[in-house]
Amino acid sequence: MNASLDIKESPLACGFGVAYVGAMIGGLIQQGRPLPDLLSTLCRLFDAAAEGYCSSILLFDRTRTRIRHVVGPGLPYGYRGHLEGLHMRRAEAACDRARNQPEVVISQVISEMLREGESEPDLARACGLRSCRSWPIFSSTGDLLGILAIYQRETVCHPFHPALVQQLTDIASIAIDRTRNEEALRRSEALLAKAQRLSSTGSFSWRPATNEMTWSEELFRIFAFEPADTITFEQMLSRVHPEDISLFCALVEHARRDGRELDCEHRLLTPAPAVKYVHLVAHGTRDQDGQLEYIGAIQDVTQRYLSEQALDKLRSELAHVSRVTSLGALTASIAHEVSQPLLGVVTNASTCLRILTIDSPDLGIACEAARLAIRDGQRASEVIARLRALFSKRSATCELVDLNEATRDVIALLSGELQRRGAILRPDLSKDLPAVVGDRVQLQQVILNLLMNAAEAMTGVDDRPRTLTIRTETNAGGCVLSVQDAGVGIKPQDAARLFDAFYTTKTGGMGIGLSVSNSIIEGHGGRLWAEANAGPGATFSFSIPRASNDAPDHCYPRPDRTFLQAECSLANSQ
Amino acid sequence: MIAVSLISLVDDDPSVRESLPLLLTQFGYTVRAFAAADEFLASDALNHTRCLILDVAMPGMSGPELQQELAPREMRIPIIFISAQSDETLRSELLARGAVDFLLKPFRDTALLEAVRKALRKS
Repeated sequence: MNASLDIKESPLACGFGVAYVGAMIGGLIQQGRPLPDLLSTLCRLFDAAAEGYCSSILLFDRTRTRIRHVVGPGLPYGYRGHLEGLHMRRAEAACDRARNQPEVVISQVISEMLREGESEPDLARACGLRSCRSWPIFSSTGDLLGILAIYQRETVCHPFHPALVQQLTDIASIAIDRTRNEEALRRSEALLAKAQRLSSTGSFSWRPATNEMTWSEELFRIFAFEPADTITFEQMLSRVHPEDISLFCALVEHARRDGRELDCEHRLLTPAPAVKYVHLVAHGTRDQDGQLEYIGAIQDVTQRYLSEQALDKLRSELAHVSRVTSLGALTASIAHEVSQPLLGVVTNASTCLRILTIDSPDLGIACEAARLAIRDGQRASEVIARLRALFSKRSATCELVDLNEATRDVIALLSGELQRRGAILRPDLSKDLPAVVGDRVQLQQVILNLLMNAAEAMTGVDDRPRTLTIRTETNAGGCVLSVQDAGVGIKPQDAARLFDAFYTTKTGGMGIGLSVSNSIIEGHGGRLWAEANAGPGATFSFSIPRASNDAPDHCYPRPDRTFLQAECSLANSQ
Repeated sequence: MIAVSLISLVDDDPSVRESLPLLLTQFGYTVRAFAAADEFLASDALNHTRCLILDVAMPGMSGPELQQELAPREMRIPIIFISAQSDETLRSELLARGAVDFLLKPFRDTALLEAVRKALRKS
């Protein structure tokens, strides 16, 4: 330790100015300088301080099996190239030794490595390197990051201060650690941005007190804004769909007051112009000062919404096809239903005419006949109206439905058909049935389908009455409607596939009736199932939740409605 | 006093039970209407009916079943079947079993009157 080493003059040596060197390296990290540059600077500082030596830092790859990078500004170029990519099995063994005995800092890592290949010691000598000593560089958590190797260039050199090595490995460790952390952070941010892009989900934070917001890049994209450092609440509101804005604002005001969870779907109107459907979820937290802050995510669900709509349309069309198919099967009965009152019309009109054309007609009877003709005409038009209501093409609606009433209408249409098939219908309708929410026609379609199936199942039955019971009742969750027949029953092998599309056990059937019925009931949040009776036959039942005060979550198919669904949850909480 | 020309009508449809008797009474016939076959069988009209206008499809006993039921009895009542469903096989079958006519609803008053006259001649 003397002046010839000249380390006192170097920054490293200035009281082993860790603070100075650390700050300098820290500054370089802040500037985003690559790690090799930082380490080169460090090596240069050392080389300048320790005359006759040159230092190098070897960085390992992630698997710690190979040397990924060699930093050694003072190393002969040819030699440095040789070290890169070097396998470090032995080096690791040496480093492990060092780790287990922390006080033995100095290990012969490189020397041991060099013994692996024949040529390196020779090459080292050829490059003018006399000897090499090396120290492991550990991270703060004890992971092996690399190796500090110090080569002696001159035959005779003044020894350098051992603390210098300690300083060098410490600072290198911090530099590598920090760079790697920043790299990891950058990678994680890039990953997050990519994930947000892929899932069309943007994230945000919002302080209701000041309306201060931060948005992720993806959120700017979803709202069709150029990415910027700041975004104002007003800017955001300008993109909310005009039809949703009042409900959106109500929701926001509510959030401002009580910090409750936010979960709503609403629309955006972007300048493209395009309507986007988004799903917003946010969670409110309080900071140390008790200030409310929301952290949330907004997902662009436009594609999903549009395909759901397309699917709903298809389902609705299939349901219509299925209804029209049953209309075909009902032609005979419908003719019967209309013929009866028509006979009344024709006969009463004839009677009226006859009375009026004789001498001294009894006008009282003529009037009665005309009155009956009109009444029968109305009866015929009621049949037509029922038919039109059930079979015309229409979009789904969402209304309060009295299942009993809906059932009675279907029975009125089907009574002729059931009679023709020799089925004895026993309606058993509960007197105090709550209303359900749904599409009346679709529910009637299901009832019609179940009744027709039941009647068909009893076609060949001659040894017992063809009794068909239709029952409505209330259960815990809502209403249950069941149709019980005395027919052939369900074969075990058919049970699992009953509700599959195009699966049929009937010769004339397409196999869509039950499948469509099933999706209608599921669309109403209910369930359709079949059971074998204790005696002959089967019972098909469906349950539908009772109408609550909430607006329905979903209807089948999704009816036209305001996309913003927060209304009901707001109404409930007020 | 029971009219010689008592016509009975059995049909489950109220429009038919109201309109046909009103028409027939204009021609001087006495008509009794029943909503079901067993109602008719249980009534005293059974023995005085000279013409039976009978619906084919009814809940409970159908028109053709009532025809079978009446067949073994001594007093043959001429039957006019009325139906809202066209069924040629059934029509021929019923006529072969002695029915006077098979009228498809809605039919004209003249067709009914003609059939009634034919039936009464038969009885």
